Amino acid sequence: MSGAAAVKRALAEPRWVRVLLLGVGLGFLFFFLALPLLAVFGEAFATGWTAYAKALDDPEALSAIGLTLSVALFVLPGNLVFGLAAAWAIAKFDFRGKSLLITLIDLPFAVSPVVVGLVFLLIFGAQGLFGPWLAAHEIKVVFALPGMIIVTMFITCPFVARELIPLMQAQGKEEEEAALSLGATGWQMFRRVTLPNIKWGLMYGVILANARAMGEFGAVSVVSGHIRGQTNTLPLHVEILYNEYNAVGAFASASVLALLALVTLLAKTIVEWRMRRETLMLKAELPPEKN
Amino acid sequence: MSIEIRAIGKRFGSFVALEDINLHIPSGELVALLGPSGCGKTTLLRIIAGMESADHGQVLFGGEEATHLPARDRKVGFVFQHYALFRHMSVFENVAFGLRVKPRRVRPTEAEIRRRVMELLDLVQLDWLADRYPSQLSGGQRQRIALARALAVEPRVLLLDEPFGALDTRVRKELRRWLRRLHDEMHISSVFVTHDQEEALEVADRVVVMNRGRIEQIGSPDEVYSAPASPFVYQFLGNVNVFHSRVHGAWAEIGRESPAAYASAEAMAFVRPHDIDIERQPVVGSLEARVQDVHLIGPLVRVELAHATELIEVELTRERAALLSLVRGQQVWLKPRQVRVFALPETTLEDEGSGI
Repeated sequence: MSGAAAVKRALAEPRWVRVLLLGVGLGFLFFFLALPLLAVFGEAFATGWTAYAKALDDPEALSAIGLTLSVALFVLPGNLVFGLAAAWAIAKFDFRGKSLLITLIDLPFAVSPVVVGLVFLLIFGAQGLFGPWLAAHEIKVVFALPGMIIVTMFITCPFVARELIPLMQAQGKEEEEAALSLGATGWQMFRRVTLPNIKWGLMYGVILANARAMGEFGAVSVVSGHIRGQTNTLPLHVEILYNEYNAVGAFASASVLALLALVTLLAKTIVEWRMRRETLMLKAELPPEKN
Repeated sequence: MSIEIRAIGKRFGSFVALEDINLHIPSGELVALLGPSGCGKTTLLRIIAGMESADHGQVLFGGEEATHLPARDRKVGFVFQHYALFRHMSVFENVAFGLRVKPRRVRPTEAEIRRRVMELLDLVQLDWLADRYPSQLSGGQRQRIALARALAVEPRVLLLDEPFGALDTRVRKELRRWLRRLHDEMHISSVFVTHDQEEALEVADRVVVMNRGRIEQIGSPDEVYSAPASPFVYQFLGNVNVFHSRVHGAWAEIGRESPAAYASAEAMAFVRPHDIDIERQPVVGSLEARVQDVHLIGPLVRVELAHATELIEVELTRERAALLSLVRGQQVWLKPRQVRVFALPETTLEDEGSGI
């Protein structure tokens, strides 16, 4: 007993190291995360509740919230399908160019969002590749909702795939093969075996992608054209108000974004908790054998 | 249902996994595919199951062409080495899966599914685990559930890929006897893959010994053990001493084959360690050797002896060893009871040989 305690003591860090590490961690969290969040809500409510409500009741603010939500609404299903397809292909099949695909999926993380915006401007803009054709058919992509959806899709496409690839690789394809040998169709196999095995990972990826889709500024800023009440998403709206010295309006809108972030965080925590519980359940200690 | 395999070949890139495999598995037989890892046995099993496609050749079930039949239409029960139970389903749902995914018009009613699943769980003696999840079971229990799940769809043939490979020795021995009994009750054609010769010899009606994508020998367990068709089979099934006959001309003469046939060619003599007698006096056709080491291994005594530069292993019963009272450095004479001589130097011998 005392031996075990001695080992534990020998392995543990000295007290001052633990205090220092804890202090650095908590201090960082407070100064860089909690304090700004408090400042946002503090500033938004600085002139009272009515001013806050009025700032949000503004048609332009409402349109920005609506636009942000609708961009996310279009982007997420696309992301889900792409992420699932890419992860499936990478985890369950061997094919030429697999490593290239894995690298390409990470591209949006590596490229600056502004560059992404410019690239799509070059492709769909008036002077761009498809510009004349789009103009001839009166289809608006750039400076309109489709352009914003496309760039957001590009920016957020790694999240779901990144989350699923290691998960699906770890699970292998034996369960799927077992399902097929038991007579399941491809769809039955997917719905009854694959999907239940990856649902929490999938959810987690979608939540992360959603947080990024709502908060994206750089790329959207380039292709939106900043048309008030039409192509301003929440992050763009915040910037405009702030540049016009409308602090209450800017922070009120920012607080909505922050609130969305907090909801996302909550959802993420719940999903993580469920995932952990599931893994714990899977690894549960075996009851004594009764053969 | 019988299984017929005709001229099956399969390559992975430049690696030849299977080459011109021909095999007939009569209805109701339990057949072992035995070989070292990488010999193509699992690939062959997966081709029979429809999980892998052959480059050429045919697979027939009961005389019916099944080469291009998708896995789900083959009515094949497959048991995986690592069980592959559906981890998010209870034991009951795992076994019920094959019944639940049937097309609506042939799907049994809920009551019928319940009855069939409980019957199968009863068969594998695990009905008391119906509500558990796979993670809560031991390895042996998981494999029995996997077997029940495979049997639920009333397969035409049962395929098992190293079914006991991931289990510890005691459970493995218990389970393979149990599998044999189960097979005798159900009489469903079964093929199982193993690299464990003891397992193959104990459980199977027939053993198919494979090496490097080819079949080396097909025969009853007794045939492949006591009359190996090739040096590889000799070495793979049990321990063996290998002699180069130019060194041990005297022993080649004792072999059943006429030594004249190999007089000029390179030949090798194979003798099992338990087929050698140790004598304290020289006898006709015996070989002089010196005792190097004596190990007591359970019921047997393994003696290592040196003859010239080579090491020879001999297995004796405890009684015989006590009678001889061997000590290290002692001079003795060896006399083989059974020798097998093969012509042609096989390169595989040097690579994989367990002999000297």
